Amino acid sequence: MAGPLLKVERLHKAFGTHEVLRGIDLEIDEGEVMCIVGPSGSGKSTLLRCLNYLEKPKSGAVFLKDEPIGVRWQGDRLYEMTFDQLARQRRRMGMVFQGFHLFPHKTVLENVIEAPIIVNRTPRRKAVEEAMALLEKVGMKDRAHYHPAQLSGGQQQRTAIARSLAMRPELMLFDEPTSALDPELVGEVLATMHQLADEGMTMVVVTHEMGFAREVADELVFMDEGVIVEQGKPADVLLNPQHERTQTFLARMREEA
Amino acid sequence: MRHPGHWIGAVVLFICAAVFLEILVTNQNLQWPVVASYLFSPDILEGLGRTILLTLLSMVIGLAVGVVLAIMRLSANRLFRVVSWGWIWFFRGVPPLVQMIFWYNFALLMPEVSIGIPFGGPKLAAWDTNTLISPFSAAILGLAFTESAYAAEMLRAGIQAVSGGQTEAAATLGMTQLQTLRRIVLPQALRIVIPPIGNDTISMLKFTSLVSVLALPDLLYSAQMIYARTYQTIPLLVVATLWYLVLTTVLTVLEHAVERSFSVGETSRRAHTPWWQRLFRRPFARQREQAA
Repeated sequence: MAGPLLKVERLHKAFGTHEVLRGIDLEIDEGEVMCIVGPSGSGKSTLLRCLNYLEKPKSGAVFLKDEPIGVRWQGDRLYEMTFDQLARQRRRMGMVFQGFHLFPHKTVLENVIEAPIIVNRTPRRKAVEEAMALLEKVGMKDRAHYHPAQLSGGQQQRTAIARSLAMRPELMLFDEPTSALDPELVGEVLATMHQLADEGMTMVVVTHEMGFAREVADELVFMDEGVIVEQGKPADVLLNPQHERTQTFLARMREEA
Repeated sequence: MRHPGHWIGAVVLFICAAVFLEILVTNQNLQWPVVASYLFSPDILEGLGRTILLTLLSMVIGLAVGVVLAIMRLSANRLFRVVSWGWIWFFRGVPPLVQMIFWYNFALLMPEVSIGIPFGGPKLAAWDTNTLISPFSAAILGLAFTESAYAAEMLRAGIQAVSGGQTEAAATLGMTQLQTLRRIVLPQALRIVIPPIGNDTISMLKFTSLVSVLALPDLLYSAQMIYARTYQTIPLLVVATLWYLVLTTVLTVLEHAVERSFSVGETSRRAHTPWWQRLFRRPFARQREQAA
């Protein structure tokens, strides 16, 4: 039997003396959707950013199909990868940010074809063809020639999703993808993500959207103060939390909702 | 009257402007017919062409060196940072006039320029410095190196103004550092520094008049050579002045056009304001527009 797609082992991360992650172990199988929830400052975004080495862990390791991320063996010694060696691994993991980070000087279409053309050397015509198909999927085909500044937050985020998908990633990382959106725009982005999950994409989603987690996630992880407090099927964790910290957090989320 | 200060000020300014106009029209020493006869004379036009060439060449070389310096200044490599800092420190600190004279006399310091193994090793190629350094190349070196120092600082600020999210987004798409710089960061940074580069180009145009010390016949020196012969000092200075004003006006309009074409899509509203309105808009109007 094949191992997990992504494996996290004893991951630690500190900013100065402040320990943000204190020993994280996780396994994500192919096709699985994992939602990570927890109070702000619990380290969930940092964990996500360690997965593709945007943050360098203090210790521990992340494996993508048994290949360590950000480090490589040479003989029996371990070396940190150069930025450009890392780029090759990062291609395999798409990432969607809270702040979208579309390229403002490029149109929607240009945002999507940029990496395939520059990184993968896909012929322009083929890249445009594939990009238009992706834009149709996320409902942005009719806005292909708009600039990001002319779009709503929801449209920008759906474009960002298409931009990531254009690199045909093996899994997608979502870092609070709806937290910067006006409430009425959250639904369209979640619907796009739901559709993506239904198509079998492996996803790791840091979110505050409990409804989405309950409906879409295969696995729910609750984090607090740099550790995983509880994890399991969303229904179990949400309806029958075992730990006091999970109970407090969920109670507060329900009050806010 | 709600604003008596405005009215008093307006009257005073109007009187001053009228007096100035009267001098322009009635002062015989300006010799307008002489101005007219020299305005398009071949010597003046040739000088004008040389001024434009000096400005463009110095800006292009200065910006190209400036991009490299800015990238070195932001590099993780300490040696790059130090060398770039030293270059900027030196060429921003020495007046361009001093530099030009220095470059022009470079042969006194190094009679020969050669490529080869340093510290007494064999030479692959060597040139006589005096054949390399003409008044023109000395002027270009002085102007371009000064500009490179200023451009580097502007570009560094521009690069740093591009948000970190842009580099992260490019990184997660698997772009290398060079690809990110070339495709994502620099295009945005250049957009930010278009207004200061425009300003620098106008400054450069005026700095080129320094080359008269190297006896290089630019616009000013061509005028000087004529009035040294004819003693029509004031009218020929007026000729030079008029041409400098024409050039700065053209550059200003050009800058606004470039700025507008680059900002299409980012601030669509501004793109519809004609350039002549934006030319005289109130200061900080742009910032207010963006804040709105």
